[in-house]
Amino acid sequence: MKLTFSLLRSLARALALVMLVMIGSTLLVRLAPGYLSDAREMDARYGNTVRAELAEEGARSRSVPQMFAQEIKGWLHGDAGVSRQFGVPAAELIEPRLAVTGGLLLRSLLLGWGFALTAALVAATRRRARLLWQAPATLLLAIPTAAMATLCLLAGSGGPVLVMALLIAARDFKFLSRMLRRAWLEPHLLQARAQGIRMRRMLTMYIAPALGAQLAALAGLSLVTALSALVPVEVLFDVPGLGSLAWNAAMNRDLPVLLAVTLLMALAVTSSGMLGGQTTQGERA
Amino acid sequence: MRIRLAPVWLLVALALGASVMVALPGASYAHQDREHLLAEASLQHPAGTDAMGRDRLVRVSAALLLSLVGAMAASVLTTAAAAVIGGAAAFAPRGVAWLVMVVCDVFLALPWLFLLMMVRSALPLQASPAHSAVVTFLVLAALGWPACARAVYRGGLELKCAGWMLQARASGLRRIQLVRQALPNLLPLLLPQFLVCVPAFVIAEANLGALGLGIGEPLPSWGGMLLELDNSALLFRTQWVYFPVALLILVLLLLEAIPVEA
Repeated sequence: MKLTFSLLRSLARALALVMLVMIGSTLLVRLAPGYLSDAREMDARYGNTVRAELAEEGARSRSVPQMFAQEIKGWLHGDAGVSRQFGVPAAELIEPRLAVTGGLLLRSLLLGWGFALTAALVAATRRRARLLWQAPATLLLAIPTAAMATLCLLAGSGGPVLVMALLIAARDFKFLSRMLRRAWLEPHLLQARAQGIRMRRMLTMYIAPALGAQLAALAGLSLVTALSALVPVEVLFDVPGLGSLAWNAAMNRDLPVLLAVTLLMALAVTSSGMLGGQTTQGERA
Repeated sequence: MRIRLAPVWLLVALALGASVMVALPGASYAHQDREHLLAEASLQHPAGTDAMGRDRLVRVSAALLLSLVGAMAASVLTTAAAAVIGGAAAFAPRGVAWLVMVVCDVFLALPWLFLLMMVRSALPLQASPAHSAVVTFLVLAALGWPACARAVYRGGLELKCAGWMLQARASGLRRIQLVRQALPNLLPLLLPQFLVCVPAFVIAEANLGALGLGIGEPLPSWGGMLLELDNSALLFRTQWVYFPVALLILVLLLLEAIPVEA
């Protein structure tokens, strides 16, 4: 009963947050000085038509509450606004790209966590190995994602999954190694090691359950890291996902599509935060 | 938290070197030497020229200065905003604190790059390069404060329960006086936040620039120079196109080496 109540409370909080994000983003976009301008205005062939369209949109979005209402109506209808660039519902553009981005994120997260966990375990259990892993992690963190992706492309090795996985691994390694090192030095584990209990058993029976909540929270952070790297990686590797859709929308000032993708990302981050929070509460209970 | 001085001095030396390069007579990041397009390193152009014949060393120096100054200014703004908002929330009535934390959560629920892209792409078409640079760093500052404000809020709450603070409240100090007393105690929290924000903002600007949404040409920026690497024809002609990336990585490594965790 307690768990259901806490789950419902988290769900309501997540929904309220997404709603606030929607209001905030819409307001930000509407009040931006370039909202009613379009790159096509500079083209003599489209200039007049585009200006007429923009004037129409300006009249439509004059009242901010009306704009929110339209936005919410669009989401409830499932079209998430109409693309300025293509003239089709944003949902139609997003849907086929969801699977591509989802797959990329999932593979990157799994590979990144695999790298980070392995390195952190070695670093936590062998003191001398710590520096050996820390140096590449620090170096990876100092390379902007766009530069890393470009260098991978130039070297002709590694793809979008590897770039994102390396970034996630470098970020998470720092936290994981610290967490595992602390757990490794706990007196009860010292006793277990002295008694000759196997590493696998210690990991599954003692370390993983004790760190479960922290690991869940870190997984949520990994998703945020992966989402931040999504746009440069997808654009540079030419992956037809949500990141490249957002970039294309930004370059062509297709703000309804950009707004829809941003809200989707906010939903993903809020949900992952909620799941992390639930795991932490479950652990406490 | 302690600070390592060696990386600070190295960064100062780099910035001084870059300032000298930019201030040299005849040095201009926008000047095009049409006779030497994509030239190799020479006495006239120590790091060669780009596809438009502009001196790469001068451009990299200007980008370094712009990025460091911009990122530091944005970090100061972010940290100050976080100190004011987080500190005020910690000492404000519970309802106000809750509202402030909800606003922080809203900002934290949005992945940075998407929000940056959204704001950046909504700028007017005729925005000048200097305007785009100011807006880019202002947007970074405007989006960076919530995580820091949360940390300040937590620190403020701990301070509020400290013995000396209880004594101060019992002595009848007003809220504003309490905040004034607490602010110096929040400094150890603010310094790490500032130091963390600087490299984060440099990276964000580089990523935005590499996507074509950063600082506008002809102003030099790390991101704009990363775009050079996209042109594979350039890479076969000169190895100097890698120079900006190498320097950017060095600067970021130095920035990340400054804070020492306790």
